[in-house]
Amino acid sequence: MKGKTFFIDLTKCTACRGCQIACKQWKKLPAEKTRNMGSHQNPQDLSAITLKLVRFQEVEVDKTLQWLFFPEQCRHCVDPYCWEAAGGDSQDAIVHDKETGAVLFTKKTAELDYDMIRGACPFDIPRMDEATKVISKCDMCNDRVQNGLKPACVQTCPTGTMNFGDREDMLKLAEEGLAKAKVKYPKAMLVNVKEVRVIFLAPFDPKLYHKTMMAEAGPQMFTRQSLFAQLFKPARAMFT
Amino acid sequence: MTVTRRNFLKLSATTLAAGAFGGLGLSLAPTVAKAQRMNLRKGKETTTICSYCSVGCGLIVTTDEATKRAINVEGDPDHPINEGALCAKGASIYQQAENEARITKVQYRAPGSDKFEEKSWDWALTEIAKRVKAVRDETFKEKNAKDQVVNRVEGLASVGSAALDNEECWIYQAMLRSLGLTYIEHQARI
Repeated sequence: MKGKTFFIDLTKCTACRGCQIACKQWKKLPAEKTRNMGSHQNPQDLSAITLKLVRFQEVEVDKTLQWLFFPEQCRHCVDPYCWEAAGGDSQDAIVHDKETGAVLFTKKTAELDYDMIRGACPFDIPRMDEATKVISKCDMCNDRVQNGLKPACVQTCPTGTMNFGDREDMLKLAEEGLAKAKVKYPKAMLVNVKEVRVIFLAPFDPKLYHKTMMAEAGPQMFTRQSLFAQLFKPARAMFT
Repeated sequence: MTVTRRNFLKLSATTLAAGAFGGLGLSLAPTVAKAQRMNLRKGKETTTICSYCSVGCGLIVTTDEATKRAINVEGDPDHPINEGALCAKGASIYQQAENEARITKVQYRAPGSDKFEEKSWDWALTEIAKRVKAVRDETFKEKNAKDQVVNRVEGLASVGSAALDNEECWIYQAMLRSLGLTYIEHQARI
């Protein structure tokens, strides 16, 4: 398994939100109307025009307040469930770029069943534009990557939280990061490291950051995947 | 040619650009694919410095050569201060040039007035020069209370200049000193 991978070291994130803005800037996506909800997090959720979002959580861990930051985006699964749900190789609404591993939503996603595509995602990432019915999410800045540049969010990160490169290099960096993090955070872990191309190093329990930061343990993901594989077998047979 | 990181990026961009978008044969991102491609294919790159805080991060501005408008601004990987990184404010600096809400004409509010009026740049610059000259002449002190020669102007102060680089700061400083200013603050201390 080659291709590209992100390594996001949350022990270094200061929630400056440079990544969130750089994403909007590169893609020329408009602003969202936001209001004060009592947290620094804005907007409140991902949307068709907000593909990268820094989530903020205030939680108590061992009687100490922890302010947790989670720069969320599509994980570009190694075996993408959305792609599988759309019909895998038999369709081109969702493209799985074999070279980089990027999962790319095209305009043709407007023809897909939104609830099914969003439901297939273990991380609850895809969002639909109400007007055009096109489903959107992070595209790994595929245009930049193909031109030898880093994704906009990675390039702008001032703290070294966001890293991007060949998968084997990132896995190595992730293991090194984890070893360092364990000294201060014994429960630190690499979230879904084998299944995704966006690997988060979480110093605390992933559930504390966001309910879908970590996909449920292997079996459930597998069940879901095989469910969709079953579901689309007839359709695929028709096309091939 | 020494291959710096920036040159390397340029080289790889040139070699890869041809094959970059052909492979998939369909639009990559939903609604914005066209704009993205333009960012990479067209445009002249120039460098500048972020105008917001005192850190002074380096920027690369990509300008569309046809429209002469900025189409992308991002951190300069070759700049020693930020090495390509930008904070949320810096990352949004594109909007300093490209934003419909941006004020593009001189707005003048006369003393005591409650509304702004539109003025020309000629008018504004002449007016500023006139007033600087008037205040300078009025508050220029050749000697202080102890009769020592000071040659300073006490009624003017300068605050700001974060967007200037080292050399520009030198010119600005020389101009202020030649007027006799002593109250000079750079953004780095604000």
